[in-house]
Amino acid sequence: MDYWLLGELAITGVLVGAMYGLVALGIVLIYKTSGTANFAQGAIAMMGAYFAWAFSSAIGLPVFIGIPIAVVVMFGFGILVERTMLRRMIGQPVIMVIMLTFGLELLLRGAVPGFLGSAVKRLSLGIPQAPVFLGEMLINRAYLVGGGVSALLIVAAIVLFNSRLGIMMRAVSDDQTASWSVGIRVERAIAIAWGLSAVAATFAGVLWGSMQGVDWSLSLLLMKALAIAILGGLDSIPGVLVAAEIVGVCESLATGVLDPMIGGGTRDIVASVIIVITLLIRPYGLFGHEQIERV
Amino acid sequence: MSRGRRGAIKPVATREDDMRLTRRSFVATTAATALTGLRFSMRSAVAADAKVIKFGMPQDFTKIYTFVTAEYSQGARDYFTLVNGRGGVNGYKIDAEVSDHANDLPRAIEAYERLKREGMVLIDPLSTPVARALVSRALEDKINLVTAFSGRSDAADGAVFPYVMPLSPNYWTQAGLIIDFFRQQDKDLKGKKIVLVHIDTPFGKEPIPIFQALGQKLGYSFETFPYTPPGNDQSAIWPQVRRAKPDWVVFWGAGVGQTTALSEAVRNGIPMDRMSSSVWISESDMDVVGKDAVKGVLKFEPCASGRSPKVVADIIKEVAGKGQGAGPEAKIGTSYYNYGVMMAAIMVEGVRVAFQKNPNGPITGPWLNDGLTAITDFTAEGLLPAMTVTKDDHQGGGKGRIARWDGTKFVPQTDWFSANQDVVWAEIKKSAENFKTTGK
Amino acid sequence: MFYRRAGIRHTTYRQERQLWPLPFDRFLVGLVAALLIIAPFVVDRLYLVAYLLPWLIWSSAALGLNLLMGGAGQIHLGYGAVMAIGAYTSVHLVRFGTPFELAMVAGGLASAVIGSIFGFAALRVKSLYLAMATIAMQYIVDFVITHVPGISGGGMASVEVPPVRFLGILIEGDLRTYFMALAVCAVVALFMLNVGRTAFGRALAAVREKDYAAEIIGIDTFKYKLLAFWSSSFIGGVIGCVLVVCYLRSVSPEQFHLDLSIQLLAMVIVGGLGSVLGSFFGAGLILFAPIVFNNLIGAGADRLGIAIGADLRAHLPLMLYGALIVVFLIIEPLGLAKIYDNVRNYFLVWPFRHARR
Repeated sequence: MDYWLLGELAITGVLVGAMYGLVALGIVLIYKTSGTANFAQGAIAMMGAYFAWAFSSAIGLPVFIGIPIAVVVMFGFGILVERTMLRRMIGQPVIMVIMLTFGLELLLRGAVPGFLGSAVKRLSLGIPQAPVFLGEMLINRAYLVGGGVSALLIVAAIVLFNSRLGIMMRAVSDDQTASWSVGIRVERAIAIAWGLSAVAATFAGVLWGSMQGVDWSLSLLLMKALAIAILGGLDSIPGVLVAAEIVGVCESLATGVLDPMIGGGTRDIVASVIIVITLLIRPYGLFGHEQIERV
Repeated sequence: MSRGRRGAIKPVATREDDMRLTRRSFVATTAATALTGLRFSMRSAVAADAKVIKFGMPQDFTKIYTFVTAEYSQGARDYFTLVNGRGGVNGYKIDAEVSDHANDLPRAIEAYERLKREGMVLIDPLSTPVARALVSRALEDKINLVTAFSGRSDAADGAVFPYVMPLSPNYWTQAGLIIDFFRQQDKDLKGKKIVLVHIDTPFGKEPIPIFQALGQKLGYSFETFPYTPPGNDQSAIWPQVRRAKPDWVVFWGAGVGQTTALSEAVRNGIPMDRMSSSVWISESDMDVVGKDAVKGVLKFEPCASGRSPKVVADIIKEVAGKGQGAGPEAKIGTSYYNYGVMMAAIMVEGVRVAFQKNPNGPITGPWLNDGLTAITDFTAEGLLPAMTVTKDDHQGGGKGRIARWDGTKFVPQTDWFSANQDVVWAEIKKSAENFKTTGK
Repeated sequence: MFYRRAGIRHTTYRQERQLWPLPFDRFLVGLVAALLIIAPFVVDRLYLVAYLLPWLIWSSAALGLNLLMGGAGQIHLGYGAVMAIGAYTSVHLVRFGTPFELAMVAGGLASAVIGSIFGFAALRVKSLYLAMATIAMQYIVDFVITHVPGISGGGMASVEVPPVRFLGILIEGDLRTYFMALAVCAVVALFMLNVGRTAFGRALAAVREKDYAAEIIGIDTFKYKLLAFWSSSFIGGVIGCVLVVCYLRSVSPEQFHLDLSIQLLAMVIVGGLGSVLGSFFGAGLILFAPIVFNNLIGAGADRLGIAIGADLRAHLPLMLYGALIVVFLIIEPLGLAKIYDNVRNYFLVWPFRHARR
């Protein structure tokens, strides 16, 4: 047993997991306030990354100006999606909303590379290549920055939910009718939740895009994010952080330990197996609240 | 809407009525679109020009092969424009019909059937799953199925696959050539360690038998590290590669798998000049990772790259210069663009030789097949190694060369050579035999 | 005038409970059936092979999924995996020499068994969580198929379908594959039309509406949920087998990924949950929309001389397809079947407008 390898894989897993967790944060935010699962989250991350590229490299602005512009635009886009599409689906069965988000994903996957070009784009954050050494373990500096930023954003979300805005959103997620009756503007809270989730997706898209290049494949981040969201509990933000680490570490270790035994490709299966086990043993996730179906 | 009578209360337009109006007009628009769409596709079948040779190029622009298809298609189309601009072949123009099948089999089969009805004699799907699904149809309908670098590696055996034309070095040949280059560099591979980092799909696993067979022959140890498709997360792979301390690393992926592999390798400190890829790496990939960061990386080149080959220079002058280019001029001369030009040149050469053999022959699939299988020593004015296609060898000789990235372009390190073809053909024969008897 | 209801008096219960009490409905069904049977002899080969054949197969698959989603109210995002199991099982059995009829049924049974294992998840969770569980299982089945060379066919990872004989007739060429698919589709459609009238169908409807209420009145929800998964997966397995034998002629893992499951889901929902006609409409729309858009854009660009960048031109069909699904769901959530229903209701009372049903 090469303990240094395991240690390195574990640390990488923690960092990469946080980066996946950022996408899951968006899914949880939306589910928490409006009760719908957004299967277009990966596509929105891709769109955010494309916009960040468009507002920086394509025009000629430095990256650190382009990213905030993209964030603001995506916040608006999130609100737009909620207003035009999700508003009309209130009251429809869950499967319809799921299908709508799948349709939105197709639409974005067609529109964004179609208008902005489908070749892989470079989005560089200026992170130096030199690795950081911890004993015999090599820590990838890009992952360090990415994981750090993601963890910070998730913690920021947790803090946000303790602020006044956050309490408002928590009230909406708990009971919409009661929130209306005390004067909370429910539509506004839901719109803000969608906007914030698009912002989280943009950050995730930028971080992943800087490592692999910006193209349509960023929309594939969805599956891992769903696994994290389910494991942590679809309506729990601290759950996202915990679940993200668990999923990240499990995947990394699986690739290191199981791949040589089975012969490859166990990474994706880990996410699926985690989903299945969670749903069979503890359906609402580690930190989720049980939803009681009322007769 | 109801017309209110005098004195009667006019009903207020309800939301439901509005919805129905919107719904009705929406449904009507959709139905009209569908009918027009079908009519359009019917109409294009009627126009059968007298002196046109039809090539079908339905390819995957939007799903998995996006990284290569746009530039490849641009290169092919520019070459056809060049040839047509010079009067075509024997007065016949080449008509390449390009469309998107998005790697979806029903769409691909629809495109195939539609193009067949329009009289195409050659189809190039540039997609392995689509090519595999079309193999039985192409063999039955006697239409030439070009599988450039993709599809079935064993289709090089023309005896078993008469109408499947790779016309390019297949993955086994590429693997054999890469190993031979390593051997040339190191003089002797005995006791060395060679590692293959590949995408965990049939495409990624394809060269493994060749690497293993050569390992037994030349005495090197061989290890594989598969990563899950599409390969945007290889964080757990490269630490293992680093620990394995390989002498040579071959990375075998596509699109995002390649760029991620390179950036991970850089960050893990793997020396770039001991890493080699298959055909699927290009200047745009280098751009994404950082041109200077990956100086020294090797790749397999089936044709010359850059803008200096005469054909490409001609295209710049006669096609792009006149504004008839099929895409952005900046992409002319990139690796995938040149692959497109290479394949188009071979196809047109096939047409020329077919005219030589049967000048009056009706333009059909078997007619073109005769031409394609008789190409001898074709170099497309210096773009390719001398390629000879025969009825038994649809690969064209299996020559290529290794090139190294120097920060701005790929610089060839060797001449055009072929190597280890005995091992490769043994594998081809074995697999083709399997297909013939059991249909695997 | 159309759909004339006047003068139709039923004298027996049997007459009243017919599937299509109105003669005009029966006429329409007969017309469509006749058209489908003479299609190969009248219609151009392109339309037969590229449009009608896949439409029939995908409609049958959508019908199978509709049994589960519209009939029993469960969400299944892993139907592609179910079809994959059926396809691989039957093709491998045929290559070993089993007669095709048995192989088809065996494929269906294998799918049914594994599909009901998926169904165990349904006993624990509902709606969104069930959707996630089925997606996870789709990935697991994908993984197993790709990594066991015995199943996926070794290095080339594609298994050619040998010529098969069904009831002594060799299934090859356009005509026979078309009729094979048509026959299977007819059987599945008949089953789906009648299932709602059986005790099984009624039990499923009860489970769909409120499962604990069903439990209270004595319907074993455990048994019926599993049975729903079983029967739906059996149909899926058989259709998977028909798909590879009649249309694709070779099996490879890429054909049965999550994309297929989402495509079928879209067909069922856009067509209309629980409606047989809706499955056909939905399959037609989802299958042909990208092709039609592709042809339209191609022809339009050439004819009108609009120079669209190659990238945009290739992505426009995908974009329009996604937009189509979104707009459909917003405007008519009950699907195409409801639109047909509206048209039918309109003609039912035509030329009167106000005496609506």
